Amino acid sequence: MTALFGWIVAAPDIPNDVGGKYVAGAYIVFVVLLLIYVAIMGMKLARIERGLREVAELAEARKDEAAVAETARAEVKS
Amino acid sequence: MYGKGLRPLSIATVVMFAISLSLVFFYAPIEADQGFLQKIFYLHVPLAIVSLCGFVVGGIFAILHLRRDEPRWDAYSYVAIHISVIFAVGGLITGSIWAKGSWGHWWVWNEPTLVSFLIVFLLYATYYPFRYAIEDRQRQARYASVFAIAAGAFVPLNFLAVRMSESLVHPRVFATAGGGLPGSMMLVFLCSIVSMALLWTTLVKFELSAKSAQGQLKRLRRALDAPTGPPTSRIAPEVQ
Repeated sequence: MTALFGWIVAAPDIPNDVGGKYVAGAYIVFVVLLLIYVAIMGMKLARIERGLREVAELAEARKDEAAVAETARAEVKS
Repeated sequence: MYGKGLRPLSIATVVMFAISLSLVFFYAPIEADQGFLQKIFYLHVPLAIVSLCGFVVGGIFAILHLRRDEPRWDAYSYVAIHISVIFAVGGLITGSIWAKGSWGHWWVWNEPTLVSFLIVFLLYATYYPFRYAIEDRQRQARYASVFAIAAGAFVPLNFLAVRMSESLVHPRVFATAGGGLPGSMMLVFLCSIVSMALLWTTLVKFELSAKSAQGQLKRLRRALDAPTGPPTSRIAPEVQ
């Protein structure tokens, strides 16, 4: 960790001239693009998760309905 | 199914990016002519190369779709093109920033490399409305595959045409023997290309995995006779 910190400190600073500004801009654009993509995919996955929850609830409700119907049938038979 | 291997791939991508960024800023020498500004090269060129290769890969998947008539190849082709378009946007923007810093202009119209890349990008930008315009899913997939093959063949042809044309402005880093780059720069550049290709693959797998989940959910809803929920995108093919 100390070695890594020393390496970072020893590394040359980003030149504070025109070049440095553009390089930072280009890399920030790349990161922003990636973040936008991840955010969109995150929203998509949240929608899928919501859908899955709804389907699971529906399946549970169907299962309960079937159990109630089965009990009622058994009572009628007896 | 599509999520298989996504975790190691993601970790490999992050590690490779950390290595290549460290090499870019701490190891690669400062270029004599452009100075620190040349560091954009390690981002812009891999973005452009990987996006162009992605377009060609999309074309290859489209060929497989037409040959085998399996919808999953259409989904592969769609996702490959989709991610490549995003990379191309990144390539265009970073290239523009580099041009502004280097030449003083955001865009130079008499430079074949830039204009040809823009043409390829615009060509693929029409892929979405083209797909969207066709209602029937099977026809949509077939026509989109034909488009992907034709456009995918155009990419290397376009590249060759630009190579053959003379340019005075855009740097030709691979024009001379040995690649025109010193060994240390070439190493960093190759690392950047590998990390960008890994990122592309990870995103393609990620997107396919999400589409697969969406498809499975739809199947579940249908099996349970449940309302299908809000309509999803018509242009994006589903993976079963």
